Amino acid sequence: MLQYFDPNKDYGTPASLSEKQVTLEIDGVEISVPEGTSVMRAAALADINIPKLCATDNLDAFGSCRLCAVQIDGRRGLPASCTTPAEQGMKVTTQNEKLGKLRRNIMELYISDHPLDCLTCPSNGDCELQDMAGAVGLREVRYGFEGNNHLEAEKDKSNPYFTFDPSKCIVCSRCVRACEEVQGTFALTVDGRGFDSKIAAGQDEDFLDSDCVSCGACVQACPTSTLIENNVIDMGQPEHSVVTTCAYCGVGCSFKADMKGDQVVRMVPYKGGEANQGHSCVKGRFAFGYATHKDRIKEPMIRDSIDQPWRKVSWEEAISFAATRLKEVQAKYGRESIGGITSSRCTNEETYLVQKLIRAGFGNNNTDTCARVCHSPTGYGLKTTLGESAGTQTFDSVKYADAMLVIGANPTDAHPVFGSMMRRRLREGAKLIVADPRKIDLLKTPHLKDAIHLPLRPGTNVALVNSLAHVIMSEGLEDKQFIAERCDDKAFQKWQAFIREERNSPEAMQDITGVAAADVRQAARVYAEAGNGAIFYGLGVTEHSQGSTMVMGIANLALATGNIGREGVGVNPLRGQNNVQGSCDMGSFPHELPGYQHVADDEARGRFEKVWGVELDHEPGLRIPNMFDSAIAGTFKAMYVQGEDIAQSDPNTQHVEAALKALECLVVQDIFLNETAKFAHVLLPGSTFLEKNGTFTNAERRINRVRKVMPPLAGKEDWEVTVELSNALGYEMNYSHPSEIMDEIASLTPTFTGVSYERLEEMGSIQWPCNEDHPDGTPIMHEVDFPIGKGNFAVTEYVATEERSNRRFPLLLTTGRILSQYNVGAQTRRTENQAWHDEDVLEVHPVDAEDRGIQDGDWLGITSRSGQTVLRAVVSERMQPGVVYTTFHHPGSGANVITTDSSDWATNCPEYKVTAVQVEKVSQPSEWQKQFEAFTEQQLDFLEKGRQQPAGAGH
Amino acid sequence: MSHSQLDQLIHMANQIADNNLHHGDEAESVQIVSNHLMRFWARTMKQQIVAYANSDGSQLTPLARKAVDELAAQYG
Repeated sequence: MLQYFDPNKDYGTPASLSEKQVTLEIDGVEISVPEGTSVMRAAALADINIPKLCATDNLDAFGSCRLCAVQIDGRRGLPASCTTPAEQGMKVTTQNEKLGKLRRNIMELYISDHPLDCLTCPSNGDCELQDMAGAVGLREVRYGFEGNNHLEAEKDKSNPYFTFDPSKCIVCSRCVRACEEVQGTFALTVDGRGFDSKIAAGQDEDFLDSDCVSCGACVQACPTSTLIENNVIDMGQPEHSVVTTCAYCGVGCSFKADMKGDQVVRMVPYKGGEANQGHSCVKGRFAFGYATHKDRIKEPMIRDSIDQPWRKVSWEEAISFAATRLKEVQAKYGRESIGGITSSRCTNEETYLVQKLIRAGFGNNNTDTCARVCHSPTGYGLKTTLGESAGTQTFDSVKYADAMLVIGANPTDAHPVFGSMMRRRLREGAKLIVADPRKIDLLKTPHLKDAIHLPLRPGTNVALVNSLAHVIMSEGLEDKQFIAERCDDKAFQKWQAFIREERNSPEAMQDITGVAAADVRQAARVYAEAGNGAIFYGLGVTEHSQGSTMVMGIANLALATGNIGREGVGVNPLRGQNNVQGSCDMGSFPHELPGYQHVADDEARGRFEKVWGVELDHEPGLRIPNMFDSAIAGTFKAMYVQGEDIAQSDPNTQHVEAALKALECLVVQDIFLNETAKFAHVLLPGSTFLEKNGTFTNAERRINRVRKVMPPLAGKEDWEVTVELSNALGYEMNYSHPSEIMDEIASLTPTFTGVSYERLEEMGSIQWPCNEDHPDGTPIMHEVDFPIGKGNFAVTEYVATEERSNRRFPLLLTTGRILSQYNVGAQTRRTENQAWHDEDVLEVHPVDAEDRGIQDGDWLGITSRSGQTVLRAVVSERMQPGVVYTTFHHPGSGANVITTDSSDWATNCPEYKVTAVQVEKVSQPSEWQKQFEAFTEQQLDFLEKGRQQPAGAGH
Repeated sequence: MSHSQLDQLIHMANQIADNNLHHGDEAESVQIVSNHLMRFWARTMKQQIVAYANSDGSQLTPLARKAVDELAAQYG
């Protein structure tokens, strides 16, 4: 979307969305603005900048500082321009002697209790108080520091990323309001009255111990140096900025990387970013230190066996070694004996190149990506029902939702910036239904009304979604017109007959789901009758044996209620990693070329063959779990893994380790020696998002630019390494910039034909499809029709998972994420985010804890049919009895030692969310953990030996 | 715990069949399961399951067995 405002300017108050215009005159300048616009904003739009302190354009007007007073013809007094709406015919004066004197007097009072240390203040050069003192022409302060003041107030340095210095505070409450309005956490407050007023975190705690989630909204809102990044205190003000895209979750926030030379001083959420609109979370805002962490791999390394130390070599030697080994394996074991894994953390261009290398260079379709273990069922389910493997909305669309149905997702932790947008809408009165075994934090949204929690048993999603649909159909809540006009009748009739069967009723299903029928009925009515009903879901939907069935069940709900094809509704998969959508779009799956074009489609394959200059296999390749099975069986012998850590993230760790050990050549390209790299023979240094150019595609199909802000630590961007490996293998690739790769993608992918770097520069970002039919992209999908013509209802029979609790394994383990850590933790564990979560724990319900004599902090052995690990106990009521919960951010925790190889029937997405386990108190780590520790120690020693060796030595 | 590759393929085929039993018409179910194997399974996986069906096949559910038989001509 084109920007009609300057994202670098603060207009003082938020934009009005009214379509009615009013015209007024400000300092003799006539301007028309949407009705409801403040006089302050109207003036700013006319480039008349009224002094202000308590106003900023991402917060509602507050009117406390009075610095923005103006004179309006026919009105008494001097009203605050931030709280005064512009009106038709209004005549406003922003500067005259009277206003000047008032403003100087106000500034004088502020300055009388403010340390005059501007030259040594960290905000020097970036301080609104300083700017306003200049703007109003303050020349003297008649009140000295003799009386009471706050100059000696103690600093709070508890947060690892920012400092709170109350001596600089002017109590404008911008931080408090940012915490409430932007973030929705309500962690800050103004404590006391009058002179004693002060900003307090939580119950007057320090920031780290309070409810503060360290999103940085308060730091960004602060007009002084009261709340300021520690990096700015240490490094000083940045001297240039580059707009780029965050490499954490699927929200895809835009940030300004504020730089000093090639050093990042801070990441500031970019107001012009359509996904995040100027907001951020603790990860994107602060946790970028991993990019320069001492653990970064800076030199290529090779070795013949994983029992040997690494040898530091040149790029040429490493690439040549890898290519030779891969060719030898293929010569010995056949063309299909090798494959590779693309990364959802890398750019679209890099992902595209890896799958191209595999298909065209390796000559097979053994390519897969980590979406296999997260959102592959989304691709299958949405393609089957709606005709496209993607979510239907923009994030912004939530502003128009009247009811939100959140299933198996924890947005405030896993997609925090979008979680804040949801909370804002909930505070405005939207209704909330949460289907989740745990009581997620969204249910604790301050000022939330009318929430329904459906605490279903893990593994019973399809039973629940069927009973919701049963209520809609049996109570006549469906949208008959939408169904008649937009959906395939034959499929609908078949589905309707199925879903109306009594066995799908909430009453029949409640013994399976554990959710009271009355609650299901109420939830179905709320969703269907809301007006705009929007569904948001996450891995709690996909990571099940019926993940794909559940996605289809969700699409059925949206189709049946006509909640598709407009703002405020839709099916919204919340993607886990930054470029999961993109890695799927780019043809990472073994059965699909870029743009979800099946390899068996002769016409599509023919176009790729023509451009790529080789004949391509028309048979699908192996998926990741099939690669592991084939490796253990001895038919799959080599792998190229870019930017993924399958040894930590994939289920049944011992099975994965056995597979990796069975490989004759494992090439890992990563920024760290991750768990997978410990089994590798070639280690190619990766580059972080700060070190390369490219694009990421977020959960709303938004293609955003990633811009290089510093040179790659090891000298190469990831795409350059793939190009060199391909050339060494004899399949020629010639690109001088990722924009050329995008041009090739656009030429071969029907939904990308209008995408180019030029258009991205012009538009900021583009939501695909972007082609002849949709030249400016597609914010909302399926407005008129579906890519398959009519919406396709799918029969979604509930089939119970085989992973059930029994006498031996009486509890169900479900896994998830927390706010401060990201995925396998390789990045966040190497930042100060460790302050919030330095170990994975097992949450146990008090009833189960009491049965087993468990107390907080006890060591617990968790045993499944896959293995055993040991974690510390936290007794918690967030789950229901019978359910235990953990995260997998720390490799030594071994969370995936216990998850099993049970997977989605359609896509093999692992069933991480359901593992039958037993839990008991233990006194020592598990056998696997002891082996893990010894193996890690050995591999780190091998790495250190390689690092200390001069390049070229040790042959 | 590990598993043999063939055991896993048999399990996967049966799981696909179990999730597509409900199409009413058996011929349609067979076609859907067979198409799924055709579209998503690698060549070697199809060859292995067909070879198993031809040599034994006892662990396959009836629907899975019929769907695999549909692939026999091409992958036997």
